[in-house]
Amino acid sequence: MKWPTSKLGYTAAGMTVLAAVLVPFLLMGLFTKGFTKLGLHVDEMYSGGPTVRTIQADGYTITIHKAVYPHLLQTEKPFVQLDWKPVSALPQHVSDAVDVDGDGQPDVRVSFDVPKDPKTPLRVDVDALNLRYQAMRNVGKPKFSELIVRLDDAILVRVPLTEH
Amino acid sequence: MADAACTAFAGKTPPRTWSRALLLTLPIALWSLFMSLRGLMQPDRSLQIASALTAAFLIALFFMMMKTSSTYRWRRWFFVALGVLFPIEFIHNVMVLRGSMGIPIEEMIAGRTPFCFLPIPLLILPAALTKTLVFPGSILPGGGMAGSGMAAMVGLWLAITLVVGKGWCSYACFFGGIEEGMAALPKKAQWKKLDPRLRLVPWAVLLAMVLLSLALFEPAYCMWLCPFKAVSEYVAARNTVGLVQNGIFVVLFAALVIVLPLLTKKRTQCTFLCPFGAFQSIFNKTSVFDIKIDRTVCSPCVLCQKSCPTMSLTDDSIKKGETLMSCMKCGACVDACPKGAAVWHIRGTQVAVKPERARLMFLYVAWAMAAMFGGTIITQGLATILQRVI
Repeated sequence: MKWPTSKLGYTAAGMTVLAAVLVPFLLMGLFTKGFTKLGLHVDEMYSGGPTVRTIQADGYTITIHKAVYPHLLQTEKPFVQLDWKPVSALPQHVSDAVDVDGDGQPDVRVSFDVPKDPKTPLRVDVDALNLRYQAMRNVGKPKFSELIVRLDDAILVRVPLTEH
Repeated sequence: MADAACTAFAGKTPPRTWSRALLLTLPIALWSLFMSLRGLMQPDRSLQIASALTAAFLIALFFMMMKTSSTYRWRRWFFVALGVLFPIEFIHNVMVLRGSMGIPIEEMIAGRTPFCFLPIPLLILPAALTKTLVFPGSILPGGGMAGSGMAAMVGLWLAITLVVGKGWCSYACFFGGIEEGMAALPKKAQWKKLDPRLRLVPWAVLLAMVLLSLALFEPAYCMWLCPFKAVSEYVAARNTVGLVQNGIFVVLFAALVIVLPLLTKKRTQCTFLCPFGAFQSIFNKTSVFDIKIDRTVCSPCVLCQKSCPTMSLTDDSIKKGETLMSCMKCGACVDACPKGAAVWHIRGTQVAVKPERARLMFLYVAWAMAAMFGGTIITQGLATILQRVI
């Protein structure tokens, strides 16, 4: 009575050999595509959240992202990300009052210097004109939720929100 | 003479003739050459030489497996080469692109953190519950060190796991080679008695890391426990917490990858810590290949148990004629058994009936994956060294 299971075993082993041959030509691509179709996205604490709107300034733009809120026990604060780009069009010192929530009233004033050397560390001051946003003084990049960094041709500022 | 030969290889496959070994190597030789074609066709001379050397190395090792009918010692050469060359190539790339092994926060925000297979089990629960990947990489190719992206790594892992199951840990993992090399250095183990309950630690680490990753929404193992951060990259230490994290990586690497393998002749990181290895053990149940102990031949000398690098054989499992689910099919026990009682096996078939056929089928599958994935990494590592030399 052993022969049917034996045949099944050898058939499965043969199919495994065939699958191994197909890995680089078919299976790997198939699984990769399947994974991308799951509709997953990278945590917004890293990526910064989807773009909500863009404000046109003098030769440059300020992109406003959707507010990001921490999950469960995540140790970061809620924040909103603002991108200034292109860096080449920015003045030496930026000081912009930004209407983050789109109600026509400025919510924060963001001020930072734009050094010519891209490797020079950035520091940012944020004045809260709306109580929903937290002020920051001379901040570099201590946390994902409060920072200023240069990324390719943009300067990103993350302004923490007050937690209610 | 004939009697002596029969006694020496009782129950074991005797060495093959050169011509038969060559014939059995032919499919893998063609596969390895095919896999190295891309490198051979590149204009970079270092890459051409590295591709040719890698193909020759893989073919030679497989030939020796066929010729001598032993697996472990030849596989080990491949595995150690993979383990040593991966960090060389990786660190070189990181230094060229960033000038530091620390991942700056900018790179994490840009999704340019390279994604290895170790965090895969940690991503499952957050992804299933919130469709969120708690890793600062990019799903598709993202430039810089992001390489081909997370989707490609997951696709590759799924495909290789489908065919070799837990064999991933012996034929595809690019981290285990350093400790396997360290374990091979001493002639005898200094620490022989290891508490078998320690084998359960990786399951506890897996559970803890999965739950922590869900709670903190970060790849907790990568942030706190991965010893291989010491030879790849780590979160740039911006504060005390970062310093503590990096200290943990170095201590774990020194202890589990260097010192303990030297003292125990075991792959201690894989046996006592690796949550990915524990997770991968689940796929031992789905693989058609396994290793059995033929109880009719076995006189429990426990040489198999002593030789197992991951403590996947216990007195009880030997009595039952099987390995534990942590067995990564390296073949050490089969090679060590003087009676040929430890055998390669295909599920559903009778134990010790044509074990060499089972070994051959498994090795074709495993070595094809080794040449495809590990071969590429070895080529890149060699090319990095050659670029410095030539």
